Amino acid sequence: MKTNSSVLPFHFNSGGEKLYGCYHAPRIEPSRNSGVVICQPMGHEYIYCHRALRQLANRLADVGFPVLRFDFCGCGDSSGDLEDADISQWLQDISTSITELRSRSGVKQICLVGVRLGAALSFITAAQQECVSAVVLWDPVVSGKAYIEEIRLLQRDALRSRPKSLWPNEHSGEEVIGFPLSRVLSTEIAKLNLLELVPNRSTKMFTVQSDEASNYDSLNQHLRQRGIQFDHQQVPAPKVWRPTVDGNLLVPSQILRSVVAWTSTQL
Amino acid sequence: MDEYTTLKEEAGIFGESVSLVGIVTPPATAETEAARTGVILLNPGIVHRVGAGRIYVKVARALAPIGFTSLRFDFSGIGDSPVRPDNLQFSKSAVAETRSAMDFLAQTRGIEQFILLGGCSGAKVAFDTACCDTRVLGALLINFPATEDENENAEQNGQRAAFAYYRRFAVFDLRSWGRLLTGKARYGHLVSTLWRGIKQRVCANETNSKQAEQFRLHLRALVNRRVQVTFICSEGDHRLDDLKQTGGRLLKQLSAERRIALDIIRRSDHTFSSLSDQRRLMHVLLRRAKAMVQSTVELRKASSVAATSSVLPQLQS
Repeated sequence: MKTNSSVLPFHFNSGGEKLYGCYHAPRIEPSRNSGVVICQPMGHEYIYCHRALRQLANRLADVGFPVLRFDFCGCGDSSGDLEDADISQWLQDISTSITELRSRSGVKQICLVGVRLGAALSFITAAQQECVSAVVLWDPVVSGKAYIEEIRLLQRDALRSRPKSLWPNEHSGEEVIGFPLSRVLSTEIAKLNLLELVPNRSTKMFTVQSDEASNYDSLNQHLRQRGIQFDHQQVPAPKVWRPTVDGNLLVPSQILRSVVAWTSTQL
Repeated sequence: MDEYTTLKEEAGIFGESVSLVGIVTPPATAETEAARTGVILLNPGIVHRVGAGRIYVKVARALAPIGFTSLRFDFSGIGDSPVRPDNLQFSKSAVAETRSAMDFLAQTRGIEQFILLGGCSGAKVAFDTACCDTRVLGALLINFPATEDENENAEQNGQRAAFAYYRRFAVFDLRSWGRLLTGKARYGHLVSTLWRGIKQRVCANETNSKQAEQFRLHLRALVNRRVQVTFICSEGDHRLDDLKQTGGRLLKQLSAERRIALDIIRRSDHTFSSLSDQRRLMHVLLRRAKAMVQSTVELRKASSVAATSSVLPQLQS
């Protein structure tokens, strides 16, 4: 298909899977030397965050960053089913997206911006890849176990105000707000713990927190102990990854401003 | 999902200002009548083209093996498509953009007949587009919003949904009674919901009469044009009541005569947030899409036989 837009939707390969991505070309000249890869959250959180992350990509492109938003395998418009997804494939998806953005834009250094589980996976990737010079962790999942408990609770709450289905669950795992959660995936996620990972010392980090209830002290302390250069901001804003009563999709401008301001000054 | 199908999907941009982002899922086989039919999936409300529970992706990929080409795309200002530069109101721009989507499939894939599929406000756009574009052979309307109260805010809409749930399900559910009697219910919410729900039902005929009249007029016109209209409703969604009330006797009559179809997915909610409900929805959508194409073929055959029989006597004389 032909396009004359500054946003380019396309597919690219990742280990036999086909990922959907949206490339946001930088809108000012000269563009910056670093590019941004946005790592979205999973399942229902992906749906609710999509609007905010598209706007974030636009704002980052406005200040000169080439940006790639992509859907993980089994999510959004990428190939595969969520039932078959696993963490190793998703980590490979981030690596492939980094390569894709570097080849498209010519940048060498990459900043990963991850939300929730996408943030946890960005953190892991940053520890493994030299080219990742900065990571933004937006309300990251620090403990996979706590995350699984949280989404199970959300599903139980949702069932309270919804008719109970007449038909039995026909797949082997659980489900959360219309998305499957396989046993393999829930086990893998439950094992995630950012406090057990050793990040790369040269990677700058920014943790931005909108959820007042979450406690990121342990993560910040962990980063401090490891000698990581990091900033932390608590920004009062809605939890955009959660379903709203009226089905609206929220865009937390305050958070987007913080992320753009931090990346603009650091990269 | 069919691996062949997903690997053949193509992302791109189209439309008047080349700004609408969509994904084309080509048919796995080009040898069927369905391959000449495009299915266009229209945003369910403000959610982008993937749909709640990724249902649009599943539907598009399930349509391919039975021969359909599909296009799921984002209206301007939703998902990956940027906002329009003009101030055209959504009800008009969405119809124009749906027609652009049809033009796009016509130009790039040679497709000339379409089924429009939409959920919630997407169903309304599908209905309105079908009214003004003769290329539409069928419309699959999921949780069609037959009445729109512009003054209704989000909280009131939520209360209507809750009222439908209480009336249809909670009242028959022992767990709900248990919560009510043990102080675990949200009593304030319950009272205001019941009050608003009852008021709404009592006043519905008065407030929406003009809207209802117009809806029936358009529905009749579509049926007369032989556009195949299928309403698919979640049993737990208040829009089912609205549709029955707005459609009135005409809806019942057309349904009884099988000139339209009304499928109800039992015990499902507005967004089909249970996987088993999603599967039932998929089953209905695929069955209806196939039937729409089949019926169009039969109609075409019948009209060609009629044309032949009217020409033959002239030739003989």
